[in-house]
Amino acid sequence: MSDGGVIASETLLCAQSDVPEGGAVKIELAGRPPLAIFNIKGTFFVTDDTCTHGEASLSEGEIDTDECVVECPWHSGAFELSTGKPCGAPCTIALRIHRFALHDGGIYLLD
Amino acid sequence: MNRIEIVDGAGFSCAEGDTLLRAGLRAGLGLPYECNAGGCGTCKVELIEGAVESRWPEAPGLSDRDRRKGRVLACQSLPTGDCRLRLRLDPACIPEIRPERRKARLTGMADITRDIREFRFAAEGPARFRPGQYAMLSLPDGTERAYSLSNIANADGASHFQIRRVPDGRMTERLFDAAPTEIMLDGPYGLAHLQPGARDVVCIAGGSGLAPMVSIARGIAADPADARRVHFFHGGRTSADLPGEGWARTLTGLGDRLAYHAAVSDESVPGLAQGFVHEVLAAWMGDRFDNYDYYCAGPPPMIQALETLLVATKGLPAGRVRFDRFF
Repeated sequence: MSDGGVIASETLLCAQSDVPEGGAVKIELAGRPPLAIFNIKGTFFVTDDTCTHGEASLSEGEIDTDECVVECPWHSGAFELSTGKPCGAPCTIALRIHRFALHDGGIYLLD
Repeated sequence: MNRIEIVDGAGFSCAEGDTLLRAGLRAGLGLPYECNAGGCGTCKVELIEGAVESRWPEAPGLSDRDRRKGRVLACQSLPTGDCRLRLRLDPACIPEIRPERRKARLTGMADITRDIREFRFAAEGPARFRPGQYAMLSLPDGTERAYSLSNIANADGASHFQIRRVPDGRMTERLFDAAPTEIMLDGPYGLAHLQPGARDVVCIAGGSGLAPMVSIARGIAADPADARRVHFFHGGRTSADLPGEGWARTLTGLGDRLAYHAAVSDESVPGLAQGFVHEVLAAWMGDRFDNYDYYCAGPPPMIQALETLLVATKGLPAGRVRFDRFF
């Protein structure tokens, strides 16, 4: 149990400066599927890195900053980064998005 | 003949009237695809040079973003000259048997349920395909649809299809009401075919998805080295949609190695599980999901529900849940 508002679990993913604007990085943590961190005009998004359609890495995909969408490098399926909702065939299953916190120049996973 | 080059990859020839996808597969290349019918979006390619005519410009497999970026669906694209494409070839899509077009003649028909009929065709030479694959059937007027084969490869050139009548469907109206004596078969296509494996197999069929699951079960029965058991889940709206356990046991030739699980969604029938087939599967499975490999065929909502259940919720690797999306 946490007390006094202290967050029970917080994992440092990387420094905010590690994720270039308009780009993405892949983060691998032991015991869980790889994560992707996106930087869209200074706003960060943390999602699963593996496409829900095939075994492709979304951090290597094309990022549409205006639409806040990532396209899978394999079949050009697409996901909305803010919701994980699929928005381009052949993807039909939502991408898992993750809660995170920004402080001290770092990006911290909250779940 | 048009020459098609893939950036950083191989090239192939595309005959007049053939699509980019089919010509690439005929050349033995692993062009990604699933439905071959414009719906799934897996065969998107970037057209770098040249021009194509689309058989279906509004195909749902292509988004506005895709169109803006110069992408086309390989399965709907007829090149009007030489082309250069950018795409990522997938070794898993290299056809084990290269598809080809052949004339076939109707040799028989039999009703299976109130709206599914088996159509039997024969062509010259052996029928070569893997259990669970499909072929494109076209009528003399050019109407074409994808249908799964329900039999297995054979030396006699026999191709059987169990086709569900679609109300007001252009293709099935013609097939059911005035079956042509001769049709064109183009195949085999499809990646959701039977694979070797150590785990027992679960086949899940709904509606028009019966044929490929029957073929998978027959493929297991026909291979003396394959000792796997098959759990055959078959979903319909009412019991009139299900030809029954005896039919499945006889047709597949699996005998005691087949367990038949019927599910009806819109009717309460004593002795039959009620619900959608993915719900009936989940109730039967309990915590044993990891014990099986899965083959699925049916309408898009059923496939979506099964993909969500098996891959997203139960965490099975996508390679252990095989289906071709149809629309």
